[in-house]
Amino acid sequence: MINRLRVLRAEREWSQADLAKRLHVSRQTVNAIETGKYDPSLPLAFAIARLFGQPIEAIFSPNGGAHA
Amino acid sequence: MECSPNRYSKRSLLLALLCLLLSLIVGIARREGLVPPSLRWAAALLPVLPMVGYFVGLGQWLKTMDELQRLIQLEALLIQFGLTGIVVMAYGLLAKFEVVPNTGIADSWPWLWLLLFLGWSVGQLIVRRKYR
Repeated sequence: MINRLRVLRAEREWSQADLAKRLHVSRQTVNAIETGKYDPSLPLAFAIARLFGQPIEAIFSPNGGAHA
Repeated sequence: MECSPNRYSKRSLLLALLCLLLSLIVGIARREGLVPPSLRWAAALLPVLPMVGYFVGLGQWLKTMDELQRLIQLEALLIQFGLTGIVVMAYGLLAKFEVVPNTGIADSWPWLWLLLFLGWSVGQLIVRRKYR
């Protein structure tokens, strides 16, 4: 999967540590998701979507898929 | 009342340390020939209790982690399991062929813990690098 997490985080001027704190995960987890090394579970993906106020498909999409 | 994982882990650690202290005392008593035959089973198995506490604490520690950290631990444990199994099997076969000394389980079990710890450390190094 590819995602827009880094862009959304940058728009809010949050550091990875800020985002990690809001999601109750480690900074390494945020970094791994942003770099595409780790795909989050559905509950975490929902938490991310809720935090940014966007549907999941607007943040995550399959490799090569079009973004919303 | 439910304990928080950290509080639970601290309690497990304290109990494990207490058992270790008791084991030390029993070990000295055994060396001096002060353990009566009726208590040999209990005295011999006393050092096992801290290990039980260790794994209970480890389980609680895992519960405090997020999903990626748990995945890292799982993959590291898989490497540890594989590495330990391969080394033990290889050593056992070499001992059968009389290439290395055939150490009995009574003498070689401490090495198993060392091997498990080393395997886990190697696993951590490999898996953490993967998700960096």
